[in-house]
Amino acid sequence: MKKKLVALLMAATLVLSLAACGGKEDTTANTDTKTNTSSTTKSNETKKNDEKITLRMAWWGSQNRHDKTVAVIEMYEKSHPNVDIEYEFFSFDDYFTKLKTLVASDNVWDVFQLGGNFPDYVSKIEYLDAYVKDGTIDTSKIPDAYLNITRDTDGNLVGLSNGLNTYGIAYDVDMFKKAGVAEPTGTWTWDDYADAARKIHKATGHFGTSSFTSSEFAAGCSTYVGQQGKLGEFGFFNIGLTGMGFKDPQMLTPYIQMRADLIKEGASPDAGAEMEITNIENDFLVTGEAGMTWVAVNQFPTIYKVCADQGRTLALATLPRVTKNGNAGSHIQSSQMLCVSKDSKNKKAAAEFISWFQNDVECNKILDGERGIPINDDCRAAVSGNTKNDAEGNGKKIMFDYVTLVGTFPTPEKVNVTSPAGQDEVVDLYRGYIQKVVSGEMTASEAAKLTYEAAEKLFK
Amino acid sequence: MRTKNIIYKIIYHVFVLAFGFCMVYPVLWMISGAFKDNQQILNGGLSLIPSTVIKTNFTTGWKGFGGITFTTFFKNSAILTTIATAGTLISSAFVSYALSRIQFKGRGFWFSCMLATMMLPGQVIMIPSFLIWHKLKLVGTYVPLVLPYFFGQAFFIYQMMQFMKGIPRELDEAAKIDGCSKYRLFFKIILPLLKPSIITTIIIQFYWKWDDYMGPLLYLSSPKTMPVSLAIKQFADATSTTDYGAMFAMSSLSLIPVFLIFLFFNRYLVQGIGTSGLKG
Amino acid sequence: MTDAKKNSKVNKLKYPDGKTTVKRPFGERLRRFINNDNTVGYVFAMPFILGFLGFSLIPMITSLVYSFTDMTFGAKEIHFAGLRNFIALSRDDIFAKSVWVTFKYVILSVPLKLTFALLVAFLLTRKSRMVTLYRSLYYIPSLVGGSVAVALVWKQIFARKGLFNTVWMDLFDKTVNWFGGNGKLAIFPLILMSVWQFGSSMIIFAAGLKEIPESYYEAAMIDGANGFQRFFKITLPCLSPIILYNLIMQTISAFMVFTQAQIITQGGPQNETMMYALYVYNTAIKYSKMAYACAMSWVMLVIMVIITLIIFKTSKKWVFSEADS
Repeated sequence: MKKKLVALLMAATLVLSLAACGGKEDTTANTDTKTNTSSTTKSNETKKNDEKITLRMAWWGSQNRHDKTVAVIEMYEKSHPNVDIEYEFFSFDDYFTKLKTLVASDNVWDVFQLGGNFPDYVSKIEYLDAYVKDGTIDTSKIPDAYLNITRDTDGNLVGLSNGLNTYGIAYDVDMFKKAGVAEPTGTWTWDDYADAARKIHKATGHFGTSSFTSSEFAAGCSTYVGQQGKLGEFGFFNIGLTGMGFKDPQMLTPYIQMRADLIKEGASPDAGAEMEITNIENDFLVTGEAGMTWVAVNQFPTIYKVCADQGRTLALATLPRVTKNGNAGSHIQSSQMLCVSKDSKNKKAAAEFISWFQNDVECNKILDGERGIPINDDCRAAVSGNTKNDAEGNGKKIMFDYVTLVGTFPTPEKVNVTSPAGQDEVVDLYRGYIQKVVSGEMTASEAAKLTYEAAEKLFK
Repeated sequence: MRTKNIIYKIIYHVFVLAFGFCMVYPVLWMISGAFKDNQQILNGGLSLIPSTVIKTNFTTGWKGFGGITFTTFFKNSAILTTIATAGTLISSAFVSYALSRIQFKGRGFWFSCMLATMMLPGQVIMIPSFLIWHKLKLVGTYVPLVLPYFFGQAFFIYQMMQFMKGIPRELDEAAKIDGCSKYRLFFKIILPLLKPSIITTIIIQFYWKWDDYMGPLLYLSSPKTMPVSLAIKQFADATSTTDYGAMFAMSSLSLIPVFLIFLFFNRYLVQGIGTSGLKG
Repeated sequence: MTDAKKNSKVNKLKYPDGKTTVKRPFGERLRRFINNDNTVGYVFAMPFILGFLGFSLIPMITSLVYSFTDMTFGAKEIHFAGLRNFIALSRDDIFAKSVWVTFKYVILSVPLKLTFALLVAFLLTRKSRMVTLYRSLYYIPSLVGGSVAVALVWKQIFARKGLFNTVWMDLFDKTVNWFGGNGKLAIFPLILMSVWQFGSSMIIFAAGLKEIPESYYEAAMIDGANGFQRFFKITLPCLSPIILYNLIMQTISAFMVFTQAQIITQGGPQNETMMYALYVYNTAIKYSKMAYACAMSWVMLVIMVIITLIIFKTSKKWVFSEADS
């Protein structure tokens, strides 16, 4: 271990001297990275007598993601013999516990994975703009729109997205048929949604809609507020995350009322039933006990396959709107991104790795869009063309089409790609208030007011 | 009289067995889960018998993550747990002797300090502790995970103290008259008489350390150094898909070492009452 | 002090030497010093004292200091906040609820768990081949700890259509919504789980039972005492130091209970299972409010110290100690 530390320090000093050369360390023979061949060969010569650079990298996920990511890391190490990547992987909760200790000790991994909850760690993120400018990060095949999903409101590039993602409503086609409810259209409303839930509940005895669990806030606060007014007029938080993005707490009320009513009527799971949902794989939609649920679309292929195995068909609908002609409220988001840490002593090498990770076609063929749809055009084409004609492949096709569709929706000029620090507390409070409305301890309007106040407190 | 006895015996055994089955039922369910797929685990209710037996869970589980198999994880667990348990035993026995048998100045104070260390939740101690080990440049090694065990564990120190209370003071007096110093008294008399307490310490500390994943999570960095407890957690992730079958398979396997330790040492605790001849 | 003096006298008698009269005072003093109770005490307690000063004290003090600041994760600057955290605590409904819920949990789970552990240990100490098997059966649940698998099975047992409700439906033609409604029932599955994992207390009781000399029982038999009398007159008093120990330890660890609530209910519904340690975790890790979590922990530490003291004070009346008598 001590040896490793020494090696790390040595590598650090080496990289500082290397940075002066400004060469690209890319040695791959990949077609899309061949553009800088001249500088590549030059730096290769200097590299040969150099010692290894060690990069520390970490992500969260499960076995499948761990295996795929380790495989591409090994691929990178093979093509970049001077780079040694020490990786760590965790489940979601563990990852953030660990990250907090590393933030406290100024020792964050060189390359690390973050979602939209990064304001807590913003002091540790190295902006990537400079690396794009000097060519370390290749963005030639990445549309600007997909770079913007990882730009903060000041326009800084905080990371490169691991994949495109957005929300949708997954539903059971047969259950809609059985209940005699028309399948959702592209412009259905929350009223239609509640109506469908009630009818399904009446006709089948199952839940019309499953719980949105931790996405309840994304649905009832972020999306629902954003759907009101003109495009971009309101948001739950303002652009720049310095305060609230709307003035009247009562804008939240109808949704809370609707949700509480559905629970009271048995058309949506109560707290007890909701607790039985461990993750998307045993969501009531998947177990056949509910007609609809909220999904992050990268989860759709998995549940589609599970249901197909049971002989059921799922489909994906856009998010319901407040009014038929109102804002869609959904837009393309980044599932997660890879960032370079400020603590890193090998920032350039780290940035280079990220560039490869998001741009290399072979690499993304292995990753197979498990983190979301690749942002690089070639990789996206490779991954989407790669789908097999089986249940999972069909699910993937639906996902790709859906993301393309959402991409065509008009989106506000500026969108918060992050949430403010401490948002989790508001999420928990908000979900608690809904339960209190259900039990009659408070009215929906009071719940809306309290949620608003709790959120406002974040900025004091 | 004899038939009555037999009936009592049967009732006793039936009752103990039936209740025992209820107790282990959840564990059996977990083990049967090792032979089920995700669907059966999540929706198959509480049946112990898989509708279709899946045998691949053990192989997919054992292959671990990114080429690091559970062979490595089990080895790491074994190293960590053995060292930590040994450390706990030695240090706790020493400290408990001082606190229960020796009238030294500050005894009450240190005893209170010891209990106080148990009263703050790990979550608030975690970060400052981490910073200490980070400053010592020992994060990423096993040192933060085993060294503290060599300084005594409050739970076991206090336990040994209570057992020492059961050892009559006359023994101390007798030893004194024989010219035995307090040091020899500990090694020659107290320690051998502490056997049941030492055995409980081994059993309990072993599985606590075996199950502990928070320490390894904070202090280890390379997956190659992960113990089983932490590795099993890597199967489950709320944001992506979880292979429950593989996770249950590995969870079941992870029970075996702790169970064997228990079986091995348990016999010292049921040899029959009073055979150690302590006070009899 | 007197012990040490006595010791040296004994030594003098044993090793009378005429030759080393000059060196003797030093050797004598050294021996006295080494065998002095204070020296012996500190020599043996040294591991703990070193560990405490090195690894426990600094984090503890740090957390106490944090509780008077506005420390959060990510914020680079820490400001002194006086008593603001503590004032906020006194107005925090969730904290009040978590203290209440934790008390409820401690008061219900600890006596249940200890009674059960003692009962099982007592019934299963007999010398019999089956006993090993039985005890293993009862002990296995404790070995699995708070794993994801256990959480899943526990949820499924108490689910709306779970094992419990299937049986209940057959018997009483209705079901119990454990985790739903107003949430008041949700704490019971957690208590049950804690009782279910009673293994460490049971093992310690078993070891304690083994220490009770058989001669006591034999004497009682001769006096014609029946099983109950023997249990109450011999077993319980002889075991009382161990009972006290288990009571203190289980009370402290019940106050710190975290895993069960986190993996099964996440504190819900309506914070009815929001154990104090879980709220500390949420505040410190999930909401990043480290200073506030520290303040909470220290308030709770004071409460726990008081309760421990009460147990110790009352214990003088019922704990029978061989060593002290």
